[in-house]
Amino acid sequence: MLLLLLALLFFVVFLLPRQARALLQTVGQPVAWVVSFPLKGFAAIDRSVMAVWERYLALRGIEEENRRLRREIQYLKGQNDQLQALAADTRRLAALLEFKERTSVQTLAARVIGRDSTNWYRAMVLDKGELDGVRAEMGVVTPAGVVGRVVKATRSTSVVLLVSDPNNAVTGLIQRTREEGIVEGTAEGRARLKYVPLLSTVRAGDTVITSGLTGGFPKGIMIGVVNRIEKEEGALFQSAEIVPDVDLSRVEEALIITSSNPVPQSGPGGAASPVEPSQREAR
Amino acid sequence: MKRALYAGLVFGLVPLQTTMLTYVSIGGIRPDLCLVATCLVGFLAGEVEGMMLGLALGFVQDLFSASDLWLNLVTKAMIGLFAGVAARHLASATPAAILGTILAVSALSGMVFLGTVRGAGGLAEMGVALVSVVVPQALFDALVGAGTYWLIAGRTRLHPTTQVGTVPFAG
Repeated sequence: MLLLLLALLFFVVFLLPRQARALLQTVGQPVAWVVSFPLKGFAAIDRSVMAVWERYLALRGIEEENRRLRREIQYLKGQNDQLQALAADTRRLAALLEFKERTSVQTLAARVIGRDSTNWYRAMVLDKGELDGVRAEMGVVTPAGVVGRVVKATRSTSVVLLVSDPNNAVTGLIQRTREEGIVEGTAEGRARLKYVPLLSTVRAGDTVITSGLTGGFPKGIMIGVVNRIEKEEGALFQSAEIVPDVDLSRVEEALIITSSNPVPQSGPGGAASPVEPSQREAR
Repeated sequence: MKRALYAGLVFGLVPLQTTMLTYVSIGGIRPDLCLVATCLVGFLAGEVEGMMLGLALGFVQDLFSASDLWLNLVTKAMIGLFAGVAARHLASATPAAILGTILAVSALSGMVFLGTVRGAGGLAEMGVALVSVVVPQALFDALVGAGTYWLIAGRTRLHPTTQVGTVPFAG
């Protein structure tokens, strides 16, 4: 029976093709309309799956790119830090070199390699010693001013007692009034100008420089700025607390004054090393 | 082995003290590793070795300090001797005993420095130094020493040279 129907269908299609096509078209319209709904549904699902898949693939790519960019940022940060450190080193060394060229005293550049091995002294260890011509009592400065003086020298290192140590003493001169005194360190890490005459008009803000009377420092190297005046009742002298101009906790390089020749160049008030604002930044 | 350890201490501790220890300082006060090492060696190996190591460490420390060349040398040698003698008279060695011993020797050493280095500054300055240097350093040294003893004794079964005990560290 089925075979008979199939043979009839073939006969109609081949013998009456146009009519058969029209018939199939007519019957097919509603069928296609019905089928279109699940078709669109599946198509939507397919699109969603594709979108998810593509996003996943894209995310994988982005994750990889993100990782690469992070590595790049780390690398660039490292490079930036290195460049900044190099720039800071260059600024400091340039200031040191300029200072060295400006003064006629013979100096030797040295790097700070350590601090005092005990807690009892404010001192630092430099990488230059007797083999480089360093001897005890030599002065140590930076472009900003006095750092301290060498108290001990081994063959390749030397120990510098800072100007803020109570055991240190340097002769100082008040730049404005031209009065002299002894600059000693204090327990608080500052310095004090002692033996200032009672009639002195020294006041806060006055600049104190080296007087050149003691060995190690030529005249006119900046020591610090007067912070306050101390007058004790019945005392023969007054004293002035000084804030050292050099940030002694951050000194990385310094110049050791190996010769105490007089300084031909004189700044205002006899200062041999007027400190430029740009140089102050390099401290 | 022990000689290598002592050589390492003599040549390594002071550079460590002058450079890296700045990073662990509290209020500008660093532990005195040479004092701690001398005390521990005196405690564990006896007064002779403690004193000898103290002499060597003190000498090297003096080279890299603004102090006179005898100050650390003498005080560290005395500390090694004192620690060794103290160990002989202790019934039991515990981190607490080490803590007490180092606290005492560090404070005594600090008083010697106070008189020698800041003696000329008057009582006010000595008072400031006592509070800001001697006491915190003694506490710091004692803590570091007790911690180190706890670490090494727990792992190596080292015991001090007591009157009745054995001396494995010195062997």
